[in-house]
Amino acid sequence: MDKLVIADRQFTSRLLMGTGKFSSSKVMAEAIESSGAEIVTVALRRVDITNQNDDMLAAIDRTKYLLLPNTSGARTADEAVRLARLARAATGINWVKLEVTPDPYYLLPDPVETLKAAEILVKEGFIVLPYINADPILSKRLQDVGTATVMPLASPIGSNQGLKTRAALEIIIEQANVPVVVDAGLGLPSHAAEAMEMGADAVLVNTAIATAAEPVKMARAFKLAVEAGRTAYLSGAAAEFKKASASSPLTGFLRDE
Amino acid sequence: MDVLKINGGEKSFPDDKMPATLADLLSILGVDSATVVAELDGQIIERANFPATHLRAGQNIELVRFVPGG
Amino acid sequence: MKTIAQHRDIKKILADRGLDGCGEEMWKQRLAEITPAEVEWALSRPPGYYVLDRLLILVSPAAENYLEQMAQLAHRLTLQRFGQTIRLYAPLYLSNFCVNDCVYCGFNKSHSFPRIRLTLEQAVAEAGIIAKEGFRDLLLVSSEDKDFISVDYLAELAAKLRPKFSSLSVEIYQMTTEEYAKLFAAGIEGVTLYQETYDRGTYSRCHPSGPKADYDYRLSAPEAIARAGMREIGIGVLLGLSDWRSETLVLAEHAHYLIKRYWQSRVSFSFPRLRPARDVDRTQFSLLSDKNLVQMILALRLCFADAGLTISTREPAHLRDHLVKLGITKMSAGSKTNPGGYSGRTLRPGSGQAGSVEQFEIDDKRTPAQIADMLKSQDLEPVWKDWDSAFTRP
Repeated sequence: MDKLVIADRQFTSRLLMGTGKFSSSKVMAEAIESSGAEIVTVALRRVDITNQNDDMLAAIDRTKYLLLPNTSGARTADEAVRLARLARAATGINWVKLEVTPDPYYLLPDPVETLKAAEILVKEGFIVLPYINADPILSKRLQDVGTATVMPLASPIGSNQGLKTRAALEIIIEQANVPVVVDAGLGLPSHAAEAMEMGADAVLVNTAIATAAEPVKMARAFKLAVEAGRTAYLSGAAAEFKKASASSPLTGFLRDE
Repeated sequence: MDVLKINGGEKSFPDDKMPATLADLLSILGVDSATVVAELDGQIIERANFPATHLRAGQNIELVRFVPGG
Repeated sequence: MKTIAQHRDIKKILADRGLDGCGEEMWKQRLAEITPAEVEWALSRPPGYYVLDRLLILVSPAAENYLEQMAQLAHRLTLQRFGQTIRLYAPLYLSNFCVNDCVYCGFNKSHSFPRIRLTLEQAVAEAGIIAKEGFRDLLLVSSEDKDFISVDYLAELAAKLRPKFSSLSVEIYQMTTEEYAKLFAAGIEGVTLYQETYDRGTYSRCHPSGPKADYDYRLSAPEAIARAGMREIGIGVLLGLSDWRSETLVLAEHAHYLIKRYWQSRVSFSFPRLRPARDVDRTQFSLLSDKNLVQMILALRLCFADAGLTISTREPAHLRDHLVKLGITKMSAGSKTNPGGYSGRTLRPGSGQAGSVEQFEIDDKRTPAQIADMLKSQDLEPVWKDWDSAFTRP
């Protein structure tokens, strides 16, 4: 399978995983292992100083996986920038998933604040992976300021509705100069396969795996789906071949040449 | 009584029990410094500097760590 | 921060893929090997889908047996994207003085004939005649006569012509981004500039001296145009200088590169075919058949759904009448390719000369009104004016 290249790093897996919503750190770690993901997202929160045992992430081997901090919780560009800097201080890694979500109901990303934060963070040397609605113009603007990818949503976080934004995603993929990672709303492995068949470079899945009856099995299903979709895309699947409907011939005049 | 603001809440320390450095504070709280990021009065403190960062009463400390998220 | 993709410029991309001439044999070989099954695969792809392989298949000899199918698809696609309309424009030649000696051109500096250049007033007068015919879309053309037809001259001319024309573009010698930006500020929105040929060897042979002899500099022009903010970038090759199929491949890659990087400008293709010109020996070139030209137009349309496709009066009337249904979106009419040609200005009274020398012979000599009638008879509406820059600019 061809490698996924983001910024200056190469990855074998085109499935990124989120670490939220799992019932336990053990299940989370096993699901990540089963998914084959090489990039896992994490969030930043205040330490609960009254609870000594709240470190769920000790279960993730940081030498094996690239931890991608997200700025979830940020409602403005300033908050997102602050979170990104904190994350960098924590790990020394300058990769960040930029997430600015002022709307607590659908958790939809704010395009204006996201673009503002992206510009600041890119200038500070961050590798920025911005989470956005499937807006083709916003995607181009973010690429112009230098983000390493764009991450358009398929449908709202946690909704499991699949590729509701399909038409816009097609345009984003066609016009992109950076990898396109379809993130949020992928509820079934078939959704992930479809995204890959369309030409997405990768997908990010969290809720669908974490809240499945058997997360470890579901993680493997997503892994296979992503591989199947990518293989299909590379093999040049034929679109429906619509025969041109009979109408007057347009090139008959050439026969007189 | 000396007070430190920690993660939005106030924590009081008897006069001679206030932690001298950030490393001491974490140790008192039982927080593993290897996975935490600290901000002191709005400035991010590098982990290597925890033992050398002295605290004064009234300072504002944010302790943040990675948690699961999508 | 640039991604790996953005680090590569067009010069490197062409060199790496052997598209600037060094790999010519390889590409010719690939073209010759295309099978009918591959053509059917290419035709089944969504309209406007571009990867180099798809275009290669569509310009291949094998695809010649599928022209009718390609035509039907291209016709429908063009209808969807552009409607039942054709934009009309007229060229205004400002000068035929030149410092280059391109071997294929009538205005070559070593050709001896009385040269003419228009003063601002004369240019405005010519434009007035063009406007009377109904045109609102004007293309200012000049050979490389930078001292007279300078950036300032063009900017001043644009300012004078803007009230009369809703769209002004230029087809002139290459400029820097700053110079293009000056033209843009003056009201010019589009620049057409042909690489002529992407094959380095052919390029050197055809452009022995003068500023135009620099292949790499020429290649960088469309980007300078885009960076200056121009809304339309016209590119093309002079068909007949070298193998048209390979040239179309490179042209497409160049277009794709520009479309990806300069997403706010529209790329258009033109199809200048070598035509008889004064003092130019055409036997040194490999001329295209009408069938080849049609295939090239169809292939580009099928891969670039929103690109403008322009055809000039170089081409004969009967062919143009068919081409308007095959993907073409813009055409000139009633063109004069000699400076002063619209007013019929003679160079020297009593010199016996009918008019100044043309860059190339026109074939479709119909008047704009006749062209408009032809279009209407094919259910196409001639569009004289596309949009009004007056709304968005002072």
